[in-house]
Amino acid sequence: MAQHLSPRSPGRLLRAALWGIVLLVPGVALAATVKGQVKGHNELINPVWEESARPDTNRYTWREPSPTVRSDYRRLFGLAPKELCIAGVSKNKVEPPKVPILVLVGGGRTTPVTLVVAPGTRLRFRNNDPFKHRLYAVNEASFSPADIAMAAERDWTAPGPGTYELRDELAPSLRSWIVVKEGVASIGYPNRQGQFFLTLEPGEYQLEYFFAGKPIGTPRPVSVGGQDLDITREPIQVALPKDKNASGDAEKK
Amino acid sequence: MLLSRFWYLILALALGLFASGLYLAQTVYNRASRDSMEQALSADTQVVKWYLNDDARRRSSLLLKVCLDETIRKELHKASSKDEKVPQDVRDRTRAALRKLVDEMPAEYQFSSLFAIDQLGRVIGQVGFDQAAGIENFDMGGYAIVADALHGWVRDDAWVFDDRIYLVVARPVEVDTAQMPAGAVVGLRIVDTSYAKQLSKRSGATVGFFAGGTVKAKASPDGVSSTQLDTIVADIKNLAQDDTYKEKGTSKPKILMDDIGVIYSKIPGEAWDLGAGYVVGRSASVVKNPFDLLQLADAKEKKSQPWWIIALIVVLGAGLGLVFSLFEHTRPLRILKAEAERLAKGEIDMLQVSKFRGLYRKIASDLNDGTDKVAAKGGVPRKAADLESVLGPIPAQPEMSAFSFPVDGASPSTSGPLRVPPLRESAPKMPVQMPAPKPSPDSKPQMPAPKPDSPKMPAPKPADAMTPNLAPSEDDDDATVVSAVPPEILEASATGAHAAVEEAGEIAEWHNTFEEFLRTKKQCGEPTSGLTFEKFQVTLRKNREQLIAKTKCKRVKFTVYVKDGRAALKASPVR
Repeated sequence: MAQHLSPRSPGRLLRAALWGIVLLVPGVALAATVKGQVKGHNELINPVWEESARPDTNRYTWREPSPTVRSDYRRLFGLAPKELCIAGVSKNKVEPPKVPILVLVGGGRTTPVTLVVAPGTRLRFRNNDPFKHRLYAVNEASFSPADIAMAAERDWTAPGPGTYELRDELAPSLRSWIVVKEGVASIGYPNRQGQFFLTLEPGEYQLEYFFAGKPIGTPRPVSVGGQDLDITREPIQVALPKDKNASGDAEKK
Repeated sequence: MLLSRFWYLILALALGLFASGLYLAQTVYNRASRDSMEQALSADTQVVKWYLNDDARRRSSLLLKVCLDETIRKELHKASSKDEKVPQDVRDRTRAALRKLVDEMPAEYQFSSLFAIDQLGRVIGQVGFDQAAGIENFDMGGYAIVADALHGWVRDDAWVFDDRIYLVVARPVEVDTAQMPAGAVVGLRIVDTSYAKQLSKRSGATVGFFAGGTVKAKASPDGVSSTQLDTIVADIKNLAQDDTYKEKGTSKPKILMDDIGVIYSKIPGEAWDLGAGYVVGRSASVVKNPFDLLQLADAKEKKSQPWWIIALIVVLGAGLGLVFSLFEHTRPLRILKAEAERLAKGEIDMLQVSKFRGLYRKIASDLNDGTDKVAAKGGVPRKAADLESVLGPIPAQPEMSAFSFPVDGASPSTSGPLRVPPLRESAPKMPVQMPAPKPSPDSKPQMPAPKPDSPKMPAPKPADAMTPNLAPSEDDDDATVVSAVPPEILEASATGAHAAVEEAGEIAEWHNTFEEFLRTKKQCGEPTSGLTFEKFQVTLRKNREQLIAKTKCKRVKFTVYVKDGRAALKASPVR
């Protein structure tokens, strides 16, 4: 079974890479598109930004709210198109894609920030900044700190299932998570309104949601047939409003 | 001698104390200088911190104009409404507006780079960051400060790109208060030498910015060299072991190269975790050796010294030294010289030991002993020594051997009877005063023989009366030996006529002594009225008897001398 990425992911290079994966994987012609909707994603607080806002982290000399911006917006929720990863997970074993998944490094983060992949998936990190980066995986010897020059790339394959946190020695705000999980067939990212698309071959899947390397919400089972599937009528609650604990069971009512 | 030696000791101690004081002053001065330097360093650190904070606020205020610019707001709103590619014209208009706004900013607070960023974190337009000009989809939305601005916060930050430090401020760009900010503007100011100079000029501190283990920019106020910060490069790597620096972001004052003090501080922001910071430095005015202290004083300070006190100390010190030297060296030498001259002239036949002190007394005593021995071997006979020269200083009345006589108006207590102190057993034997026989040219010095043509001894003058020793005693080596006694003397002695002759001679001698005593008293300014020879001889006789009884001598010779400014008599036993 092939792994597919949502075409809604921003960035032309990234989209081209994703389409390349789709075209190169056999059997994609039989795949169907699952169209979905998440809600509550603006309640997911980015842990890096939140931590940076604390005075004890010494990240600023002063920080003040703009009085004309509503307090709802002053909460440091993450940017879902880069940070909320939706994965279609099969019960069957999934072969990793034959081409590496491109991860752009730049702007104080990676794109995407959270990435869920099947074991053995090769990742390719490309420096999109005009200065070097020095990525490494926390407590993981297979991805030790090494410089990536401007426009240079560095490949890495996670050694096995688990969650890997990536950091940059030269950019403290850069923190990414690679979730390696058996059966990941396809991943996608919602747009700012919460809509997402997944391309899946016919079969039984669980839709799982990951934010900052952690699973959030309640997985939703979907059965993909030969045709596209629209599940937007039943939006997926990934976080409750004002819920500081985003990893809680959002759909529990 | 004792005073001089003490004076030398005092001078040596004073010199030692002076040297010790100088060394102590050097230590205290250096410590005070370093303390002062550390306080100044702490103040400088605080000033630089305040300056950075104030500078960030000023720059964020400048961003207000950018955030309120209609073109910026409009174009950012357009860009944020599209998840797809941002139209190029939007980028161009945004960039043009930014350029115009940057140019209008005051030069002192101009940004190195200015960015306009939409809600997705995409850089829609920028000026001054040319290295990113060719990058498609250049994104800055991951930085915490940008995220803060996109969520309605105003704050500052510090970034380090390729070991270059950037001071960053960001503000939200708002179009509709009911919506999220349309984007954010971010201003960067690179920390370079011009910025360091500006900071140093405003704060008065010598400051350097470091990142990646090297100093990126440094500056110092006019008149102060910033090269002192060159030494910190080797020390920066040690900051990793500085717990205070790691925990509080500011190191304790550190002394480098003896006289340069520094305090390291982290720059708040992402630079905090990237080993970037600033260092303030000052040089302490330390002295290498005590004499450098003298060179620290300027002409005014030197002029304000209490020179009169210093001169007084010098004069007093030198004066005391000279006085002690005169008193203990020059004066005894002169006395010795005078006495020696008198001895040479024959005015005295021995040195008066009591006139000397210390070593000179010993010298005088030895000379006397030597003279005696020479005389005993045939030298010129000597006059009788007085008691004081033999026994040492004679105590004042009534213990003194010298005595005075009652005069009209004088206190009775001053005219007490003469008390002769007992002779010390160790005292040298008194040489007997004898008429000096003229030695013949061929006579032996030890035993002058009488002249052959004058077998009879001429009758002695009363003043030269003596009790002859017919034969030298065994225990009196110094006694003059007479070869024969004239028969007249022997006859007179046998018949008692000799006693009368001796008494008459003694009376005549006392007359002379009385005359000399009166003369001496007048010279001393003492009254002489009422002092008659009768009283005088009664006193002499009384004291003669006492002295003869005590010393078993044959007769007593009285001589006049001056003691403590008064005329006095000495009684010398003659054996």
